[in-house]
Amino acid sequence: MTEYTLIGTRMPRVDSRAKVMGKARYTADLKLPGMLVGKILRSPHAHARILSIDTSEALALPGVKAVVTGADTEGVKWGVFAYTRDQQFIQTEKVRYIGDEVAGVAAVDEKTALAALDLIHVEYEELPAVFDLMSAMTTDAEPIHAEFPNNINIHVNIDTGSVDENFANAYYIREDTFTAPEESYFHGEPYAVAARFDHDDCLEIWMPNGGPHMKSKPLSNAFKIPLHKIKVRKITIGGAFGGRSEICPADFICALLAKKTGHPVKIVFTREENTIGTRQGHAMITTHKTGVDKEGRVLARETTCYMDGGAYSSTGPIATSVPFLSMEQAYRMGSVRYNGYRIYTNKPIRGMIRVHGRGFACGLDTQLDMIAEHLGIDPVEMRLRNSRQPGEFTSTGSQVWSCAMDETIKKAAAAAGWSEKFGKLPPFHGIGIGTNSVQTGFPMGIRGGSQSFIKFNEDGEATVMSGVVDNGQGNENMLVQIAAEELGLLPEDIHLVSADTETTSSDPGSYSQVSTFVGGQAVKNAAANCRKKLFDVAAKILKTDPETLTAKNRMIYVTDDPQKSVSIKKTVRVALLNFTSVNAEGGYWPKVDMKREWVSNPYGQMCEAFSFGTTIIEVKVDPDTGRVTVLNAVACQDVGKALNPLVLEGQFEGSVAMGGQGGMLTEYHDWREGRCLNPTMLEYKVPLACDMPEIIDIIVESVDPRGPYGAKEAGMSIAMSAAQAYAGAVSNAIGVYMDSFPLTPDKIVAAIREKRQAGK
Amino acid sequence: METIEITLTVNGKERTLAVSPNDTLLEVVRDYLDLTGSKEGCGEGVCGSCTVLMDGHPVRACLTLALEADGSAVTTVEGLAEGETLSPLQQSFIDHGAVQCGFCTPGMLMSATALLDENPSPDRQKVRQALSGNICRCTGYAKIVDAVEHAARPEPGCPDCHARDTGGNHD
Repeated sequence: MTEYTLIGTRMPRVDSRAKVMGKARYTADLKLPGMLVGKILRSPHAHARILSIDTSEALALPGVKAVVTGADTEGVKWGVFAYTRDQQFIQTEKVRYIGDEVAGVAAVDEKTALAALDLIHVEYEELPAVFDLMSAMTTDAEPIHAEFPNNINIHVNIDTGSVDENFANAYYIREDTFTAPEESYFHGEPYAVAARFDHDDCLEIWMPNGGPHMKSKPLSNAFKIPLHKIKVRKITIGGAFGGRSEICPADFICALLAKKTGHPVKIVFTREENTIGTRQGHAMITTHKTGVDKEGRVLARETTCYMDGGAYSSTGPIATSVPFLSMEQAYRMGSVRYNGYRIYTNKPIRGMIRVHGRGFACGLDTQLDMIAEHLGIDPVEMRLRNSRQPGEFTSTGSQVWSCAMDETIKKAAAAAGWSEKFGKLPPFHGIGIGTNSVQTGFPMGIRGGSQSFIKFNEDGEATVMSGVVDNGQGNENMLVQIAAEELGLLPEDIHLVSADTETTSSDPGSYSQVSTFVGGQAVKNAAANCRKKLFDVAAKILKTDPETLTAKNRMIYVTDDPQKSVSIKKTVRVALLNFTSVNAEGGYWPKVDMKREWVSNPYGQMCEAFSFGTTIIEVKVDPDTGRVTVLNAVACQDVGKALNPLVLEGQFEGSVAMGGQGGMLTEYHDWREGRCLNPTMLEYKVPLACDMPEIIDIIVESVDPRGPYGAKEAGMSIAMSAAQAYAGAVSNAIGVYMDSFPLTPDKIVAAIREKRQAGK
Repeated sequence: METIEITLTVNGKERTLAVSPNDTLLEVVRDYLDLTGSKEGCGEGVCGSCTVLMDGHPVRACLTLALEADGSAVTTVEGLAEGETLSPLQQSFIDHGAVQCGFCTPGMLMSATALLDENPSPDRQKVRQALSGNICRCTGYAKIVDAVEHAARPEPGCPDCHARDTGGNHD
């Protein structure tokens, strides 16, 4: 086994010192000379035609420097796919949800900007609005987008064949429907964007993002200026969770105000705006019909999922597919038919939360538990009988090269004391298991790969350039750790230039969990190429073959005779004196099936690696109040290879909190006529320190043959499995399978009451 | 609007400022003094990202009027380190992996500093209670609780308490 210096160690993150000292600058902290305050006028109506906009009174207010409306734009519509381009960044004809962007203002201070918003007079003609996804499909009213009849934005159909035949042969079949409402990210940092145009008419822009190159392209489209003129700059980011990947209309509005005024402009969202004006998680109604043999093995499944997409689409096709993909990766199915429908409604826009769609809210694990109970099979055994095995193909044709799903199930069950507890706990005390699988990457066409450049400075330190972005998960540290490992340097010798579109090559960013697999691998390859150049120079100095050399701790030495050595610094200086380059590049492109397409061809190799996770939760329920106390949590994931267990554990623990504790117990939105009633932190209940159980983290390493050092996605399979473990535990405690998420006290009390009445 | 002069000692330095009556303490530290370590996460006293110490007690700077702070000693996250030397709590946050996106970190550090000033050896339950006015979306709080609990009382079995001693820390 290879011995690493840094890989696999509990290395504290390189970015944390600036953060604990309060020195790390986030977008809202930026102050540029002459900077103006930007504000956005949002629609008060859920669905309305814009008849006229009068900005004259606002423009006349002293201190107002510019007002922009749709008339100031090129009218470009955005969407990630050619067939999902349905959103203007400032609306010109219609508004489609309460919060849709109508105008922007730049003024000398916040008070003036807010006053100016009130002086913009918009005349609307209200249109009938739809808030419920089922009625959205049947309404006679004007569709939200003229091009999409019945408000059906996306329909994904997957059919492996033989479904009906296999149902005919099934020993037991059951059909259940599960519902889950929208949820929000509630990032620590409310969204903010700062923009200015420089002396070369280049747009410089700072904002939280899931990949700077994912922001530059839509801005380039919208302004109709070349990509090199859009410089998305690096800035510290206060959490993403999927909610920073998409271009935000505020990015464009801020840049447009900066262009019009000739001044830097900054827009900082209120907490309410962050909830309404960025994206949310889809509300879902999912029906599974599952047929099994006598031993509980799934022979056939038919899943239909209706997703409330809100007012616009963009990544809609991905959202409509991924809940199913997570299920098909985790579990073998003899045959399957999937129909996913993403429906437009007059509500805020939905995107990815953690991953696209919300596989964890689909209830598949709950149904497995129901089937297991009917057949008298233990839930853990039920999962082992259906779990994905290494080397297999998923239903849609992705080969799974590394997979330790069974190991995660067994280790989690052992750590949780499953066999001593399941079925043996006192009343209102329960234990539940959830399992899931997450993609390490999607087919992303020309934006799927990453390239890194490394240059050595004359002092023997190295500058590493990568398009990878850090949203808080530790990507910067990951890149530094890999570069230092490969180059034989210490982490403090690595200067990282990242997440800046001017200096780095196209990169998928943190999108689809590929930062380590793709971006990390690109740095690893660049560093290996750079090391080779160093070794060529060092070999001449040491009068040996480059193949005999090792680099470690700032030194290059002969592996079998470590006394024969030269410092990296000296090697670099000798190289420079001899006009020899010790800079290098390296890249990585995932080998996926480029013909695979979300709607038109959902078959083929989806990504190169899949992670697998199991979460087990133990709870106590107060039958009178419905209050759930979480006693224990075990989080166990196959991560391929743990590059840094300290960072990984943090990902697992955060995933239990957001995916399970919050996602399944307290986090959801309340609505009235398309208006979100709980957009603030006071009303939307995220978990607090006092709510969280102690969490046992178990890292399983399957060492993926294609991942860097064997690594693949880390943490998301916990986020995706935790919710069903929570649901299973509560259901087990109260003796009722819950099919409406989240499991709020009122639902729990009602379920207990109903069960008691049925028993009388 | 009429301004009023206030004097406060911020991170040991006396400052006299002309503030508006409706200015908050958060606006004073962020906008007047450029101490942007204190964050605004919600603006309504829920998330705790703006927590600073006023005369040693943690307060929500977003809900505290600047006028209320007149005559007080205010400590922000920028005041925790002595020059480049971090406080044991700051170091513990780094060593235990308690920092992810870092947005809640300044507020967490201030609440935890106040706790440890009052009780140098709190148990986990006390730590959880003391931090329950600070919202973190990244960590699930586990490593933050470890960092606070172990800051004053290193745990023999903790792999991260002695990382620095064994050379495992590369910060």
